[in-house]
Amino acid sequence: MPIVVNLDVMMAKRKMSLNELSEKVGLTLSNLSILKTGKAKAVRFSTLEAICEVLECQPGDILEYVD
Amino acid sequence: MKTNVIMKIMNIIFWIVFIGLCIKTGALLVSFFVTLFINSNGAEDTYMGLDLLDIYSFSVEYYIGVASFLIAITAMKAYLAYLVIKLFMKFNLNYPFNEKTALLITQMSHFALSIGVVAIIAENYGNSIMRQGITLQIDWGAEQFLFFAGIIYIIALVFKKGVEIQSENELTI
Repeated sequence: MPIVVNLDVMMAKRKMSLNELSEKVGLTLSNLSILKTGKAKAVRFSTLEAICEVLECQPGDILEYVD
Repeated sequence: MKTNVIMKIMNIIFWIVFIGLCIKTGALLVSFFVTLFINSNGAEDTYMGLDLLDIYSFSVEYYIGVASFLIAITAMKAYLAYLVIKLFMKFNLNYPFNEKTALLITQMSHFALSIGVVAIIAENYGNSIMRQGITLQIDWGAEQFLFFAGIIYIIALVFKKGVEIQSENELTI
């Protein structure tokens, strides 16, 4: 898939575990795992907003287009 | 709640239909073998007053042909009713759009089409017998099954699309 999710990179920069991120964002671990492993087909703006708020980053830091 | 009740009632109805068709198939088979090997007067009342004695008297081969088509179509109808029962057993109202249900509905449409095709062949066979002056009053129901197959196929396509949309929705975070 051309869109790559660099969630683990941002999580490592902010020294945040998946459990912690799941609690703060309000997503289940399985949903976060689906997103992290690139299996997600779509992301809601509300989810992206919550993740960016918690990780203090821009959407472009998490989502990358690879040709 | 109301939908669950309706589903349960329809499940019971289809079980009755399935058992009825199985009994009909069995009765036709028994009548067929009794007529051929024990007493030819069995053809006079094949099943629920169906009189095939004229055909039997004219030609045993024609009788075997008509009886075979009758038994085959009735057995196929019973299997179609069984597929509907299987659908009710696997159907989950909380998670309706799944691969198994979509596959079952597709199978039902293909099978209904097969019944329609066999019924058309039986109808043409019956017409060829009637052209020789023998009365044959059997409604094979070919048009009904072809119409039913078409409707079910469209429903199967809609269901497949529903499965796609549901799986995409599940993978939307």
